[in-house]
Amino acid sequence: MKKILQLSLGIVTSVGGFLEIGSVITAAQAGAQFGYKLLWAILLGTLCLIFLVEMSGRLAAVSKHTIVDATRERFGFPFFFIVLIGVVLIAFMVLVAELGGIGFGIQILTGVGFPWWAVPVSLLVWLLMWKGTFGLIENGASLLGLVTISFLVSALKLHPDWSSAASSLLPSMPDGDKARYGFLAVSILGASISPYLMYFYSSGAIEDKWDTTYIPINRFIAGLGMTFGGALSMAVLVVAALTFQPRGIQVDTFPQAALMMTTALPRWGFYLFAFSMIFACFGAALEVSLAIAYFFSQGFGWNWSQDIKPSKNSRFAFIYTLIILLAAIPLVFGIDPIKVTVLSMALTSATLPLAIVPFLLLMNDPIYLGKYRNGWISNTVVSIVVVISFVLAVISIPLQIIGG
Amino acid sequence: MRLKRLVVVPLVMAIGCKPPTPAEQLDSIVSWVSTAKMAGDAWLRHTTPDKYTRQTLELSGQMLLETGSQVLRSPPATLDSAAFDRALTSTRFNIAEMARFVEEKDAGRFRQPWDSLRIYLKTMRDFSASAAAGK
Repeated sequence: MKKILQLSLGIVTSVGGFLEIGSVITAAQAGAQFGYKLLWAILLGTLCLIFLVEMSGRLAAVSKHTIVDATRERFGFPFFFIVLIGVVLIAFMVLVAELGGIGFGIQILTGVGFPWWAVPVSLLVWLLMWKGTFGLIENGASLLGLVTISFLVSALKLHPDWSSAASSLLPSMPDGDKARYGFLAVSILGASISPYLMYFYSSGAIEDKWDTTYIPINRFIAGLGMTFGGALSMAVLVVAALTFQPRGIQVDTFPQAALMMTTALPRWGFYLFAFSMIFACFGAALEVSLAIAYFFSQGFGWNWSQDIKPSKNSRFAFIYTLIILLAAIPLVFGIDPIKVTVLSMALTSATLPLAIVPFLLLMNDPIYLGKYRNGWISNTVVSIVVVISFVLAVISIPLQIIGG
Repeated sequence: MRLKRLVVVPLVMAIGCKPPTPAEQLDSIVSWVSTAKMAGDAWLRHTTPDKYTRQTLELSGQMLLETGSQVLRSPPATLDSAAFDRALTSTRFNIAEMARFVEEKDAGRFRQPWDSLRIYLKTMRDFSASAAAGK
């Protein structure tokens, strides 16, 4: 009974916690500029994420190691340190974007500019990290994030052309700006396959004391939760395609994105968008801060657990305190969170091999996983998506720079 | 670490510095006029806060000024610069009027510039289409 509850909660929180500023903005920009054409990128990213999340949980349940622990142990500290630099740098940019997303959500409701909200919002995130348990952070914020289901309702109310949407699940080239198309595909893949999620998930499995009896639950949570989450991302793209593309609106700023649901849900669409962004970004900010603190603490062999009081976990608490403080600084100075978002998502794709290749090697290591190690399907799917993301990033980022 | 810095820093700067083409700038102008129109639609239905609507209209006006000046500095060959400048000025005036009436919560007077915006949106779309065809 307890496991059925955990399974249900796991799926619900995966759905509620799936969207964040990266997935919303990249999908909205893609829909506004290219219609349904980039739905395939969300499908590919979600498919890869399902496998990666399942693998993260399985590694923890079988080996009782988090990804970070196992990476450091298996490949040594110097290699781990390179991964740490790459992953933490990008996770930090994501944190800046998420805090900015919360600030923007409040800005469109109150009219007070997001830089003014950077400090209060960061303090609130920090306070929840300081006082809250892992369960509260994992479940509470994600349950609030269920408001993002309004994107799905909006998409259905706009009556999309299903056959056209289905045909866009296969990659095709656009008529217009190919460099921009490639850059957006890379950004969507980066937004979907955020490595911080793997670190968060595997650490969570250890916090929740998973063992091999959790492997089927883990499979269901990864499969169903991420599939529904991916459907929400697709809904954002569909809503943008049907609302913005016919009007020629590009999503360059947050106030433009805020109009997304006002056609489908005229009465509540604006407020649903604002609250979706506030809750989704809040949940993501908590998860990214935790993931960074886990990464450092596990990597350097310090005490780590969100369920231990900060006084007994001082270095862990110090890391998230510092990282949240640092992330607030660029926002106070008015850095545009949307630009940070798009850039961090594209760079995530470019650096995916750094995070994923050692993880794949671990998942095939009999010392850690014994008979539970990866089969050929997981290896093939993840390898193909990571190669596609990396190649697209290497080609499209310079093309975007020189203007195609 | 040094190698990473050598790659990432110029990349970030270059993405931020890439100048848009005139056709992209005209698309951006259409996007902002359309944004103002859509924000106006939503405000008239009483579904968005006054402050948000006013700020979005002001932002649209500001973006039109910045982007329009860039287009006029190096206009595409197919663009009638004088006609574009006139249309841009009128569009910006209409949007400024809309923002003023939102502040005054005067939906009745708001309707006139909001209605005219449809014509300016079409004009800007025509400029954008001719620039795209001529590029």
